[in-house]
Amino acid sequence: MAGKKEELMEIVGVENVLDDSATLNAYSKDNSFVPGRNPRLVVKPLNVAQVQQIVKWANQTGATLVPVSSGPPHFRGDTVPGAGGAVIVDLSRMKRILSIDRRNRIALIEPGVTYGELQPELAKEGMRLSTPLLPRRSKSVVTSLLEREPITVPKYQWTLIEPLRCLELVWGDGSKMWTGEAGEYSSQDIAEQRAKHRSLVIGMGPNNVDYYRLVSAAQGTMGIVTWASVKCELLPRIHKLFFVPAQKLEELIDCVYKILRFRFGDELLILNSANLASMLFAKPYEIKALHKQLPPWVLLVGIAGRDYLPLERVAFQEKDISDIVHQSGLEMVSTVPGAKNNEVLATLLNPSREPYWKLSYKGGCQDIFFISNLHKMPEFVMTMYSAARALKYPISDIGVYIQPQHQGVSCHCEFNLPYDPANRKGLTGVQTLFTNASDQLLKQGGFFSRPYGIWADMVYNRDAATTMMLRKVKGLFDPRNVLNSGKLCF
Amino acid sequence: MALSNGAYQSLEDIVGTEYISAESVILDSYAWMRANELRTKDRSGFFIRPEAVVLPGSTEEVQAVMKACNRFKVKCKAFSTGWISLAQPSGAGVINMDLRRLNRILEIDEKNMFAVIEPYVIGSQLQAEVMKLGLNCHIIGAGGSCSPLAAATSFIGNGADGIFMGYSSETLLALEWVMPNGDILRTGSLGAGLGWSCGEGPGPSLRGIARGTTGASGALGVFTKCAVKLAPWPGPAEMPVEGTIPAYYTKLPNNFREYTVTMPSWKAYTDAYYKIYDAEIGYIGHRQFSKLGEDLSTAFFALYRDSSKSLDDLEEFTRKPEIQDLTDELRHYSFQLILAGMTPRDIEYQEKVLDQILAATRGHRVAAMSEPTTAQFVLLYLLKLHCKHLNHVYAGGKSQYFRPDGSPDYAIEYAPFMIELLKKYQEKGTLVKTGGDSLMGTLSGIGGGGDFHFEQFVSYNRNDMESINAARELAEEARKLATERMPGSPAALVGLPPDVMLTAIAASSQSIRYHWQWKIKQMLDPNEVGESAGYPMLKEPPKE
Amino acid sequence: MALNDYRSTMQGCTRCSYCKFITLAHIKSWRFSNGCPSIAYKGFHTYAAGGRLSAALSLLEGKSSYTEKFKEIVYQCQLCGLCEITCKLCRYDMDVLDTLREIRFKMVEDGQVPLQHTSLINNLRKKNNMVMKTGVVPRKWAQGLNVKDLSKEQGSVVFHASCEARFDKGRKKVARTAVTLLRDAGVDIGIMGQGEGCCGGKAYEVGYKAEFNQCAQNNIQAWTKAGVKTVVTSCSNCYFAFKRLYPKEANANFEVVHTVEFVDRLIKEGRIRFNKNVPITVTYHDPCHLGRLGEPYVPWNGTVTKVFGQITKHVPPKPRYIGAWGIYEPPRNVLKSIPGLKLVEMERIKENAWCCGAGGGVKEAYPKFSSWTAAERIEEAKSTGAAALVSACLQCERNFTETIKDNGQKMKVYDIVELVQQAL
Repeated sequence: MAGKKEELMEIVGVENVLDDSATLNAYSKDNSFVPGRNPRLVVKPLNVAQVQQIVKWANQTGATLVPVSSGPPHFRGDTVPGAGGAVIVDLSRMKRILSIDRRNRIALIEPGVTYGELQPELAKEGMRLSTPLLPRRSKSVVTSLLEREPITVPKYQWTLIEPLRCLELVWGDGSKMWTGEAGEYSSQDIAEQRAKHRSLVIGMGPNNVDYYRLVSAAQGTMGIVTWASVKCELLPRIHKLFFVPAQKLEELIDCVYKILRFRFGDELLILNSANLASMLFAKPYEIKALHKQLPPWVLLVGIAGRDYLPLERVAFQEKDISDIVHQSGLEMVSTVPGAKNNEVLATLLNPSREPYWKLSYKGGCQDIFFISNLHKMPEFVMTMYSAARALKYPISDIGVYIQPQHQGVSCHCEFNLPYDPANRKGLTGVQTLFTNASDQLLKQGGFFSRPYGIWADMVYNRDAATTMMLRKVKGLFDPRNVLNSGKLCF
Repeated sequence: MALSNGAYQSLEDIVGTEYISAESVILDSYAWMRANELRTKDRSGFFIRPEAVVLPGSTEEVQAVMKACNRFKVKCKAFSTGWISLAQPSGAGVINMDLRRLNRILEIDEKNMFAVIEPYVIGSQLQAEVMKLGLNCHIIGAGGSCSPLAAATSFIGNGADGIFMGYSSETLLALEWVMPNGDILRTGSLGAGLGWSCGEGPGPSLRGIARGTTGASGALGVFTKCAVKLAPWPGPAEMPVEGTIPAYYTKLPNNFREYTVTMPSWKAYTDAYYKIYDAEIGYIGHRQFSKLGEDLSTAFFALYRDSSKSLDDLEEFTRKPEIQDLTDELRHYSFQLILAGMTPRDIEYQEKVLDQILAATRGHRVAAMSEPTTAQFVLLYLLKLHCKHLNHVYAGGKSQYFRPDGSPDYAIEYAPFMIELLKKYQEKGTLVKTGGDSLMGTLSGIGGGGDFHFEQFVSYNRNDMESINAARELAEEARKLATERMPGSPAALVGLPPDVMLTAIAASSQSIRYHWQWKIKQMLDPNEVGESAGYPMLKEPPKE
Repeated sequence: MALNDYRSTMQGCTRCSYCKFITLAHIKSWRFSNGCPSIAYKGFHTYAAGGRLSAALSLLEGKSSYTEKFKEIVYQCQLCGLCEITCKLCRYDMDVLDTLREIRFKMVEDGQVPLQHTSLINNLRKKNNMVMKTGVVPRKWAQGLNVKDLSKEQGSVVFHASCEARFDKGRKKVARTAVTLLRDAGVDIGIMGQGEGCCGGKAYEVGYKAEFNQCAQNNIQAWTKAGVKTVVTSCSNCYFAFKRLYPKEANANFEVVHTVEFVDRLIKEGRIRFNKNVPITVTYHDPCHLGRLGEPYVPWNGTVTKVFGQITKHVPPKPRYIGAWGIYEPPRNVLKSIPGLKLVEMERIKENAWCCGAGGGVKEAYPKFSSWTAAERIEEAKSTGAAALVSACLQCERNFTETIKDNGQKMKVYDIVELVQQAL
């Protein structure tokens, strides 16, 4: 056995090393189709020094470490051990919000901090953080950003990694590093640096390498992040949500492009009725009922007024966006049958209810998501539906979420496939659908930029040069492959 | 070391006889660069000659050249527009790869707002083409004659439009990268043949090793194509340019406003910046005109806008009462701001917000700068950055020091002593007496705000040995001061000889970053074909 | 002056590359953004003005010597002056074009010239012209024109036909048309007839200053003897020689007017009236020597001092030649006043005009490059949708016509006076 439990107990304390079967079982699998595998141990460090020691220990003993920051339920398979004898490094004890800097709009947080914990603290300073679509309550902010989950406000995405900025991380070789402008500071004392007005705003670098990009969408295979600075936005003083309903997805495409071109609005996303219904209601029959009432497609447009003339901002953008929508032959409204804007906004701005909203309809859900361009979305939807029809999966159940990102340059496309996990046949069917549809969407041109589970092989088999280079880079930063071995192409 | 016959022949076989040369006159033209006299022993503008110059015409030729360099153990310094010493070899045994022939705009995707370009497309060309489609592109501070690809992949990337369009690195999407060994890596969605619009992934983003805050300036191979994110342009498809050379100006529709605003203090100045960031207004923001000196800038730009005037008239202009008044009004705490409204309501809103910000910071719009002909001149200047060679206007020589880069509060701390230092040197008479405050900087280097830097312009006479020496002395004193005040920063390393530089970076804070760079370099370029000036490295890891 | 006198210009180059493009503010497309034909054709930086400045400095400092490549670098340049104006957009201390000329003067002194230029100059010495065509009788261009022969009579206005007109049949027509127009408008125009000599402008451009001076002296003497006060020409090359070089190098003091300026004046005065429609869409090519190089010479004699520490100041202020005051509007005025004619502009116009390719001795020494340059301009003209390319320079018009013919293209080339005549 590689390494002893007692060695880890010396690092983190006896009570923070777990190997009871219930605990191990909980980490052995998740809601994805990635085959389950029991870890050997679960260890819960409290600070970067402990993380470093753990990683060094793994290098000495050959153990595989699987970093986990968010609480369950997990969905992507990235937290399921990919190699035997793995040790889960559960960072949920690292839960401090280290600082909030209103002037520079930067929050410094540890990986265990969730959206639910962060937002109220930011609100006290008149700020908030853009979130992905209804993250689960246990979702780690740092993980979400590291994994490049799209946020619902595309205009703030100056890069696909926004709003992530500087990091403290431990590489797979056990060395610690600060990235971004923090990596140029004269000392690794945040308080001292803040006194000199160093603000952790610039995420690039330091110098000639963007280290934060190397750990992004890495599923913990390159390094373990122990704090991150994130760029916040101002808390809206007025915040309105509008709907643009449409019978066909195609009808919405042009007006979304125009809104993106103007950089108007805040939240900007398209949901189909299945997803909007699932967002708003928890009970299956309620979801079903609302699904029938709602228009097939809805563009959600948030407009916020912040510190400067908030009323005026909301008012003028409401008019201008309405004009844009009109040009496409559509209407921007405050309610759609079954949903009112303030209710939807409240839902949108907060983490998901429990249980996680995607599980409400049938108890289980598989997500297929990738990146492409907005104008191609209708074609991808047709492909998904066609794959579903072929396997007799009800199209009406499929949730569709289209999120323009990176200020409109690309677009996240997501299909949510609810299923009953207790129904064996249904489960098998969804698994087949998941595989077939993923394959077809990939071939159609979907870029699976976050290649979880089976996508990893599908993606890397098509791009030998990238695969080779990634392995070389992995070889630099994690020469003994201790971090989440078996994931991606490693 | 001269290139061996075999090496030369090999390169000639790749690019053709007409696109390779080792003629001394050609090599010397590549050895010439601005500011070289600040680093050469004999104060000459000629630095080290490349062994040869090649002009490849395709990605395949670039690959073949890199392979040949590996075979013959020759280093290669690739560059495109190359208006900086990093475009030149830093030692013997290096060929220059001039990417001039790779000059096409390959694609403009109007809907999804990106363009695919080759290295020698210049900002002004790209801007002209994308404006036809209602788009604009980020142009770096060095101006429209520079390559957006080079800025996005290989060097820095601040520009006047950064607040709205982002830093060059932030505009970078997928790229086509010829590795030092001649292999090709296509990053992001391009790698799988899925187009250019996503620069990240799959999984960890390999463009992370291509560049950070700065690029590798050719140390890690050659970028032969890249996609850059574009930005909205709510102006006409073709910017009207009127006026008699050099006093060009533009008249833009009513959804544009150009202002110079001034504040009562440095504190108010930074407060204004933060408020602009928070308010999310501004299309272009820059402290541009102060670069030519707090004492001379106003006079200079007045005479510049009169085609019949020249520097011979500068003294007279400085004596004009209205110029003196304006000089005082603009001194220190002023910057330029262009608002661009996507709609009439938008511009109206932005104006009102600016009113609020100015009221809160006790700043004001400078009336004389809003006078129509002046405003139209400034509008064209900042939107196109078409005459950035004015950086060198006074006497041909321009250098800079410190460049504190970080939050506005951070950068401002350096302003007073940067000003004092320059003033002290200018009093000797060997530099151009522009006034101690010749500080230039963009409202924000990165998109959305948050990052600011000052660049102190030192104007010296390239034809005067005393002046060159003064600029060198000043650079050295600035470096020493930076060692005290900004230890470990690039400013503390400027101009150091290679062996001294190594010691300095080894002693600098968090020097692990230089060791990682060494490792990356070893991984990608074990034969050290990519010339490494501009990519500092430490072979030995720092002791923990 | 000697080459060393231009050291400050050579040392002042920062390698900004502005000399390679038109003024950046005026770039309207990628396709038509280049300004310097030389580097666009050859690629190496050395072929741009900035590269030539460092080449010259390299020579002066003994780092390089004359080679065939050096020669090619220097002479494969039309001296079109685009680099001069784009450099001066931001610099007041650079004299790029004068430096490029000075390199050639030195190379002639040192015997380092293209063979084709040697032939050209021999032709000048023997036959008093710079168009190496045989079988043309120069005096015949003016047959039947019925104007004064100022080699025998007195007259205040001389029309200088130019070598192009005297020795090229196509250009002869333009000169004849010009003279006829002016004569019929009541101008007391005369010609030097057989006494007309080459302006010497091209000799100057290829570096033969002595030969230029000889031509200048010959012409100045002949005009003075004839009582000439005003020199009119349709050739922009000659215009430049008379307007800028003669006062500068030979202390000449004549009023110099291009035909197109004269015609513009005559139209405004009502002495030329149009009676016919000329239904054609045309685009106008600004000749380098009429446009950006068409500013008059302003003598300067003063002192140089420094102000503000290191800024050079001339006392009195030294005139700058920045292309601001070239002849841009008169040709456009003329074209716009022709009934039925529609003028559409190319992208690179006025001070940013792309060269026709013929100047600087390039047509003689590097004909392929000359053709290529012309072809680029013709492409640009075609992109406007115009049916014809119009200019006000015989050299430009010849080069365009020959290139169109060689490339089997179909685009008409006119001199402005030809269209004026069609409208009469």
